[in-house]
Amino acid sequence: MIELKELQKRFKLQVKSKPNDESKDPREREGYFYSVENVSFSCNTNEVLGLLGPNGAGKTTTLRMLSTALMPDEGDITIAGQSIVKDPIFGRRSIGFLSGSTGLYGKLTAKENVSYFAKLHGYRGKALASRLEELFTLLDMHSFLDKRADTLSTGMKQKTNIARAVVHEPQIVVLDEPTTGLDIMTKQTVLQFIQQLKSAGTPVIFSTHHLDEVAMLCDRVHVIDKGFSCFDGSIADFKAHSRDGELNQAFLNLLGAKSDV
Amino acid sequence: MFEIYRKELLELLRDRKTLFFVIALPILIFPLIIGFMVFLSSQATQSAEQKVHQFALVNGHYAPDFAQRLFYHKSFKQTKENDMYSTIDDLVSAVKSGKIDVGVYIPKAAHEAMQLGEQTTWSVVFNDAKAINFIYTRIEELKTRFTDELVSDALTQYGVVKEKQEAFLHPISLQKVDTADKRENLGEKLGGIIPYLLIPLILAGAIYPAIDMGAGEKERGTLETLLLTPVSRTQLVLGKFLTLLTTSVSSAIITVASLGIWVGIAVTFIQVDVIKVAFASVGAGEFVLIFMLLLPVAAILSSLVLAISIYARTFKEAQNYMGPLNFLIILPMMASIMPNMQLSSTTALIPITNVSLAIKDIIKGTVDMNLVWLIFISTAVLGGILLAACVRWFSKESVLFR
Repeated sequence: MIELKELQKRFKLQVKSKPNDESKDPREREGYFYSVENVSFSCNTNEVLGLLGPNGAGKTTTLRMLSTALMPDEGDITIAGQSIVKDPIFGRRSIGFLSGSTGLYGKLTAKENVSYFAKLHGYRGKALASRLEELFTLLDMHSFLDKRADTLSTGMKQKTNIARAVVHEPQIVVLDEPTTGLDIMTKQTVLQFIQQLKSAGTPVIFSTHHLDEVAMLCDRVHVIDKGFSCFDGSIADFKAHSRDGELNQAFLNLLGAKSDV
Repeated sequence: MFEIYRKELLELLRDRKTLFFVIALPILIFPLIIGFMVFLSSQATQSAEQKVHQFALVNGHYAPDFAQRLFYHKSFKQTKENDMYSTIDDLVSAVKSGKIDVGVYIPKAAHEAMQLGEQTTWSVVFNDAKAINFIYTRIEELKTRFTDELVSDALTQYGVVKEKQEAFLHPISLQKVDTADKRENLGEKLGGIIPYLLIPLILAGAIYPAIDMGAGEKERGTLETLLLTPVSRTQLVLGKFLTLLTTSVSSAIITVASLGIWVGIAVTFIQVDVIKVAFASVGAGEFVLIFMLLLPVAAILSSLVLAISIYARTFKEAQNYMGPLNFLIILPMMASIMPNMQLSSTTALIPITNVSLAIKDIIKGTVDMNLVWLIFISTAVLGGILLAACVRWFSKESVLFR
């Protein structure tokens, strides 16, 4: 189980706003921008957690802290009770991270890309060959393994990226808007992969703006707004925020926005 | 660390731009450009040497022997309109309009003036702005021969016999006895050029791959994935740093080897004894020492470009930051060729200047090994500090996620 406790993350502002500026964001204080003010949630085994929130809510910063790319200023993140803030290497071994903006090494083949990351995670010899074969079969990658990444289609690239993210058999998979900008076919590949992880009992945390994906895959939903956790519950609880159980309306109601949806 | 090094090298070897900058440019393009420039300049010199210049001579009757020699000189041809010119202004406008290449104005009879104890000033009118110009030197040669004859005639008149005239005119002559051997002499001249060739090549060999490994990775979105592996930041930086060290030193070695081969080929066709003498006396051990001295320079420059690249947000931003680096290395190299600048315990501590001075001394055969060790230590310390700064840079969120 992964648990995020009262996370806070701030970034130093390049240009300080004037003290009496009424138009300034309330998260700008004392020369800092508080991207995440107080976020807490957990994700259990066999669970897919949907992380929702409007643009700028603090989702990506939260997930970057979860992936150990950023260190929180306050709070802690634990996996099975062990802090990954204190031991980021343990966190990196335990988490598989994929974001929509992740790139590949264009001059390496699909196989070399995945193999490189496996080696960085310590895989060698037979263990490496066996893990690669397992992933390439699972994601149906054999037809383009020896093609350079910069010649691959978007779908092939995304499959390679998925393989790279989970090559080290992580305990938890974190996906930051993994379907943004993808065509229907490629999107389907990603969603099927999340389904496969769910079937295998791997906890998955993924942020998205597509509520249909949440309805299809998630067991639980966590909503962040303006840097604060503002909802945590099951899909049914989430739907209860709208009169007719419509997800978009429930989301808007939670954020206190008026809409005709 | 070696996994990162291996992958970075593999990517670079598959990159046409890198192959062009690190291999093709030094092997083919540089020698071709240098060869073409040498060819053009020799053609220009040859054509200037062979050119026959139209001249006008005003008052040639004041120096008939000179006029005759000028008339029969293979590089000069008297204009048919010589009688049209009578003043310096006439000659100036004729040269400006291109009617003649040179005009010589003799104001009075040279022999008579000398007899009266007066010096005569002749005017040579020509366009001196041309880079390669033999006009003035040739006229001067003819004038010297003419004045020597005038002086000789005068001395004969005064009863000085021909055999004693030289001692009479030049009672003291200086003879240069140089204690520097040929190697030291040539080393002083050639040794200063070698760092100018090698150090910028080391920088050039590091810049492009560095931009790709730092800012390029940020822009492509691969850096974040790399940061999420269990590899420590130190290993990550060392892997990238070793790749840059390899490319920068390779670029310099390939260029020098290529130039060496091309010069070797050229020397078999043209006799250039100066180069043979200069390099025949430099032993293999000294070449190894030069190479060893270049390693810490490559380490400093590789750490520097890697730190700059990782700070930049984009490929373009990194390119902009790298531009001034060329000035940064040229200035200390210029210091090394300043007069009386020598390798000492103080200059051995100035980065780049120290290595430039040491290379010069190695070629000259006068290098002090104690100072070489001081250079190794001071440069290695600086390289280490820069590398540590690079690791720190790689650990700062404000740099990685700017």
